[in-house]
Amino acid sequence: MVLPRLTGALRSFSNVTRQDDYRGESADLMNKRSKLREQVLESDLTWKKITQFVTGIVDQKEHEAINEGLKEILQAAKLIVGTDHGQEAIESGAVFLLKTFYDKESVGQKETKAIKQMFGPFPSTSATAACNAASRIVSQLPQDQVNRLAKLFQENGGEGRMLFGNNVVFSLEMYELEAADDIPINGTTDIEDRLTLDL
Amino acid sequence: MPVLPLEEQHVDHKDGMTGKLRSLPALDPKRAVSRHFVLYLPPPALCSPALLEEFLERSEFIIQDLRWLLALPHDLFWCQVIYDESLQKCLDSFLSNCPRSYDPHPPFPPAVQQVQSELHRCVFLTFLRMSTHKESKDHHITPSVFGEIIYNNFLFDIPKLMDICVLFGKGNSGLLQKMIDNIFRHQPSYYQDLDDSVPTLLQVLSSILVVCGVQQDKDSVELQKLGEQNRSTPLDMPVEELQDAVLYLCDSTSTLWAFLDIFPASSETLKKHDFLNRLSCFYELCCPELEDAITKRTFEDKGLQSDLWRRLSHSRKKMLEIFHIILSKTCLQPILEHKAENIQPYVEDFLQVLTVLLPERRFLCDYDELFPVADDLNLLQQVSPSIDETRTTYILHGVQGAYADTRRPM
Repeated sequence: MVLPRLTGALRSFSNVTRQDDYRGESADLMNKRSKLREQVLESDLTWKKITQFVTGIVDQKEHEAINEGLKEILQAAKLIVGTDHGQEAIESGAVFLLKTFYDKESVGQKETKAIKQMFGPFPSTSATAACNAASRIVSQLPQDQVNRLAKLFQENGGEGRMLFGNNVVFSLEMYELEAADDIPINGTTDIEDRLTLDL
Repeated sequence: MPVLPLEEQHVDHKDGMTGKLRSLPALDPKRAVSRHFVLYLPPPALCSPALLEEFLERSEFIIQDLRWLLALPHDLFWCQVIYDESLQKCLDSFLSNCPRSYDPHPPFPPAVQQVQSELHRCVFLTFLRMSTHKESKDHHITPSVFGEIIYNNFLFDIPKLMDICVLFGKGNSGLLQKMIDNIFRHQPSYYQDLDDSVPTLLQVLSSILVVCGVQQDKDSVELQKLGEQNRSTPLDMPVEELQDAVLYLCDSTSTLWAFLDIFPASSETLKKHDFLNRLSCFYELCCPELEDAITKRTFEDKGLQSDLWRRLSHSRKKMLEIFHIILSKTCLQPILEHKAENIQPYVEDFLQVLTVLLPERRFLCDYDELFPVADDLNLLQQVSPSIDETRTTYILHGVQGAYADTRRPM
């Protein structure tokens, strides 16, 4: 039910607002999802950079295991992203999966939601495979390099930057309905006698 | 060396096509990112999992995007705010559609409540940043330019400011007062917009009177004559229409009161339009009609009846408070706080408002119960001993008469 509002009347009938046209924008969720995928594709952090970073900091003897893990993530990305958008999209998806799971032990609700938001419905086994592979890769990296990897992801996502208003004390309290007198029974007697405000 | 204001700064920008660096004004549209903010829709009334999931997804997008926006450096934040139309629509859709706590809605599930809370915070902080021309010593916009930016790009307008007050005013009044003062101080055109909005506010009151059957809609007079049919009244109209009228009244009075409570400086503009007289007349005509309907009609749903009663009582109180804020701000405060050198015109104005109010018996009694007229007159007599005693006595007798007429004890 659309509630009648004072500001709705002002928006519609006064000349003090920009008359925004919202038609056709109810399908904006679809557009938003594709915009998100575009953003991942345009990201400066490529799969190549990631693989170089990870393989560059471990001993040669561990390369095989690391490469195996990276391959598994790429394969999971293929199944989640699909092959319609090409190899570049798959690799971007792999970056996204590694970023999502590098500090997780299992696929939780938050991760599921993030993947679904980005790629739509996906096979859960692929997410689990990517998560396990990410854990294995990270377990072979020294802690300082894991921190560097985290920093790489944070810088890329614009995370870690100070949010404006972080120190603002914000209250969620909203204006409530005031308390009122009880309603007069049946309204049969002269209500003027009894209907005074409870102030 | 002092840092230039944002509107005078230039930055190196990498051209997307050629990859070459070129100097651009800091507030150039090319620096805004295509982010595609989605619109806010209110939580679904039905607990359908699909609708709920869509609501949560939509809200999460908005939260993520606003967090991203709030984390942007000062210059990029302003580029985005000015040039990203989707952001402006997103914020406007939140202000328009976000449920007020007095709206009739079932309690939200915890997941909805959680995202609603975070949305509230992010939207408030975004408006806070948008109303701040000086973020730090190094990050600032020249106040007059700030005024032009927010006005010319409709970053704020009168309905938005009212929505902001009703949504955030209760818990954040101190900060909100500073925000709105800042907006009006640096862009006085908002006073003109407020002035231009008052006829629509009055039209809203008229439309409620039309629904109540106590005033005819000009457009429908001719049609009615032709059809020879009586308009329905709150006593016999469909219950949904009665409910709509009460909800409209409740929202209108709550919103206007919240705005005046946060920004009482708007009182002068309202008063210029004879708002006090119009409001008391409206109260006198509308409230008895709606009270009669709510108490005398037979409701299948008794819960709805008491809900409507509560909303009407709330609206009545808000109307009395609106009246009091305007009267205090425009007449009493200049006298009591010695803001005016010559207080006589304010004393005269105050007495005139009360004299005009005397025929509105019902309103006068209710107002006097909440804000005793005798107390204000006593105060005035202390500050202005030369006050015409005949007039004050006349007013006090009028108040007593109103109690007698409405058969209420004083």
